[in-house]
Amino acid sequence: MSRLNDHFRGAARVLGFVALVLGVGAVFALIEPRFLSHASLNGIARHMAANGLAALGLTFVVIVRKFDLSIAGIAAFAAMSMGALIAAGLPLWAAIMGGLALGAVLGAVSGIAISYFELPDIVTTIAVGSICGGLAFLYTGGRSIFQNFFQSGITDLNDARLLGLGVSLWILLAVYAAAWFVMSRTRTGMAFYATGENPIAAHFSGIATRRFVALAYVLCALCTVLAVLLILAESGNAETNKGANLMMPAYAGVFLGAAVMGGTSVVATFGGILLITMLLDGFALMGVPYYYSDGVVSLILLGGVIAFSDSLREWITGLGLLRPRAARKSENRA
Amino acid sequence: MTMTYIDKTTRPGGTLRRRMARLTTDLWLPAAVVVLTLAVASVRPQILDAGNIAAVLKSFSVMAVMVLGLTWVIAAGKIDVSFMQVAALANMLCAWSLAQGWGWGAAIGAALAAGLVVGVVNGLLVSAMRLPALIVTISTAGICASIAAALGKGTVIRIEAPGPLAPLLDPVLGGAVPPVVVPVLLIAALAWFVQERLAMGRYIYAMAQNEAAVRSVGVPVVGLGVLLFALSGVSAAAAGVLLAEHLASGQPMIGGPYLINGLTVVLLGGMMVRVGKPNILGTLTATLFIGVLFSGTALLGLPDYQRQIIQGALLLIGLAVATLAARHHGAGGHADGA
Repeated sequence: MSRLNDHFRGAARVLGFVALVLGVGAVFALIEPRFLSHASLNGIARHMAANGLAALGLTFVVIVRKFDLSIAGIAAFAAMSMGALIAAGLPLWAAIMGGLALGAVLGAVSGIAISYFELPDIVTTIAVGSICGGLAFLYTGGRSIFQNFFQSGITDLNDARLLGLGVSLWILLAVYAAAWFVMSRTRTGMAFYATGENPIAAHFSGIATRRFVALAYVLCALCTVLAVLLILAESGNAETNKGANLMMPAYAGVFLGAAVMGGTSVVATFGGILLITMLLDGFALMGVPYYYSDGVVSLILLGGVIAFSDSLREWITGLGLLRPRAARKSENRA
Repeated sequence: MTMTYIDKTTRPGGTLRRRMARLTTDLWLPAAVVVLTLAVASVRPQILDAGNIAAVLKSFSVMAVMVLGLTWVIAAGKIDVSFMQVAALANMLCAWSLAQGWGWGAAIGAALAAGLVVGVVNGLLVSAMRLPALIVTISTAGICASIAAALGKGTVIRIEAPGPLAPLLDPVLGGAVPPVVVPVLLIAALAWFVQERLAMGRYIYAMAQNEAAVRSVGVPVVGLGVLLFALSGVSAAAAGVLLAEHLASGQPMIGGPYLINGLTVVLLGGMMVRVGKPNILGTLTATLFIGVLFSGTALLGLPDYQRQIIQGALLLIGLAVATLAARHHGAGGHADGA
């Protein structure tokens, strides 16, 4: 019975989310009809691919109850490194492998420092991010890298299509599907959640909690590298500020999704990042100046976290008389 | 740990070894400032020019004001990553108000009020609603940065007339000491007194250890949390006002670099006097250290990004040492106290 209830509640949350996305889409379409145009929807899909990959990486870290503020720095360093590899004439796959290897090392540095050496997560990742942000300047001193970009075929990641959808969207869907399977259908995924819920209990259940925390940071860095790869593919060059705009949407996507869906998960992040990308692209289409975008994302994030917080729910139910009736109603419905 | 503090008062004797250890934790950072200054001066004597000292002390004052409140927020086991954008907002608000024809008094009042509002909002959301401090302050930082940029439509606002704070920034004593250092040090001394001698200081450090325990012995934890974030907001805003006077303009993008600088200073300072605990005296010394480091790297002609790498590495090393030391002190402290 309670399982059934849980299913109902889960389904209701998903439906609520779908309604929210459709509602936001409808509002934008009414204000700005171009929102539903082919170009605009394509743009949303492309931006969602980059934002979504970064947010997915952050999801792993948030599931083990940590934070990662090195996303922008790692993205910048990986962008310039992959750019340098491409400019040196290496084939695209080698450049991507190089970027991923670099990401894995950087993620492992943060992850090991935080899990095995118990350094505080926020400040450690800020420091690692800062070092990476500086290292991004090593190759060219800050100048843009664009040599060999068109010959290498990296722009195909942005332009090519498969069954009517952009390649970047397929990459996003494939990575999300794999992540969803691992996180909700395997022991490994359960271990991540257990580590986050109660590391001591997880430890005594035979889970190598430190390894999973470190692994979460490695996965986050790998996803960040993939995200910035798509940004390079879209712009056709590598610059040190690529990826500077990945972090806020990632945080907003993860925490908004978690707030609406009642917990951090791959599906929740997918919904959250879809909503955030729609809002960002919609506002950009309406001609809202660039400097408002961070503020809008922040406001939505804050609003979402407040609206779905436990204390607000307690406060509303604490208002008194409403509670018994509301409770009875929900019982009847179930 | 409060243990070291108790040691000093109840056991004035103490072995020589312990006194040496005490002296080392107290004095290693000031010694590092002296060594770094001398090292740079041996290659670039200009670092000891009056003009350069004045510049270092000016940036020291701005930075110290900005992170005074942050020191206690971090000491209480919370985090505030909105301080640098609060400073940017106060900076822009000051310049914008002046451009609207307001007087300096009103402009400064508006800037400080904005800092207070952001701080109180942060505090209420974190302490009363128990939302994660990082998410709350990351959001308010984004909102502040957007408002700051929107005030100037994305560009700089110039300030024509120098304000009442200008004489504070005008160096005296042979052009080496800007008078602003005096009020900054007085405020810091007051904060040090509050932290070391009043119950509030004890509560701050107790909160970091076990908030539930502090709450259950009757300390108004929510009120204290709001107060700490409010202080952080106001002190960041005050730094923004100083920057407006110093730069004679409102700069919307000024916040960015201060995030890592501010955290470096607070955590590096947290390794002095009370190991593993951010504290006012440590923050001041670390601010001076970073000031000399910046000045030195600039004089040596290192590009900005190399300084960024050095600073990040410094923060990481500082963190590692502080964490390891706190673990040792923690174990030793319990044995001592028992």
